[in-house]
Amino acid sequence: MAEHYSSFERGGRRWLLQRLTAVFLIGVLAFHFLLLHFANHAADITFAGTQARMSQVGYFATMWLFLVTATFHGVNGVYNALVNQGISGTQKTAVKWALVVASVLLVAQGTRVALAMTNLV
Amino acid sequence: MSQSYNRGTVEDFGRWREFSAGMWAWIFHKFTGWVLVGYLFTHIAVLSTATQGAEMYTSTLQGLEALLIVRFLEVGLLAVAVFHILNGVRLLMVDLGVGLEAQDKSFYASLVLTGAIVVASIPTFLGGPLA
Repeated sequence: MAEHYSSFERGGRRWLLQRLTAVFLIGVLAFHFLLLHFANHAADITFAGTQARMSQVGYFATMWLFLVTATFHGVNGVYNALVNQGISGTQKTAVKWALVVASVLLVAQGTRVALAMTNLV
Repeated sequence: MSQSYNRGTVEDFGRWREFSAGMWAWIFHKFTGWVLVGYLFTHIAVLSTATQGAEMYTSTLQGLEALLIVRFLEVGLLAVAVFHILNGVRLLMVDLGVGLEAQDKSFYASLVLTGAIVVASIPTFLGGPLA
């Protein structure tokens, strides 16, 4: 099909996970934007307000899942874009592990930050 | 009856004047994706001030929000995110084989809807006290 342009190999595992995380992210990203820019104005954000939201277990869990799925979706997108550009062999392996390490660090730091925002621990 | 056209390589940016809607959608989706993943890392870095105490977090976020350039960057981020979401839904439809014959129109619709949402959001983003 001439009109189909994608960096993903359709039907593959990375393609499927990218689509599944996308569906989750559409809802949560819209919620995040609406809550923190429209319901609460970004300029009015204080630590106390953040702590009140993040100390609710449901909200905390949603935001943590948001972090994990957004990290996966973003990094998987970058990896597939680079594979689509033609990297292979050692380059491909190096990119893969650099992205895995970046993801682990981001999720670890994000989790640390999320916990610091709560009064749960 | 479906027809196949040889439109050349989308990576060959030098011939951008000949690009079809689907090729532009691919380029915009990739560009907005790079911006969003870059922002994700930046966002966590800024929020990390929460580990330095309540005062530091509040003053950093309010200090950033007091800058007009940050408000404009937020509008830009909204534009990038909304387009990526709308075109992502379009890609999902394309992958499922839904509305293939209208995939160029759905790309234009994504652009128009992004523009409308962004314009409607400008008062909210630029409103509120600045430094």
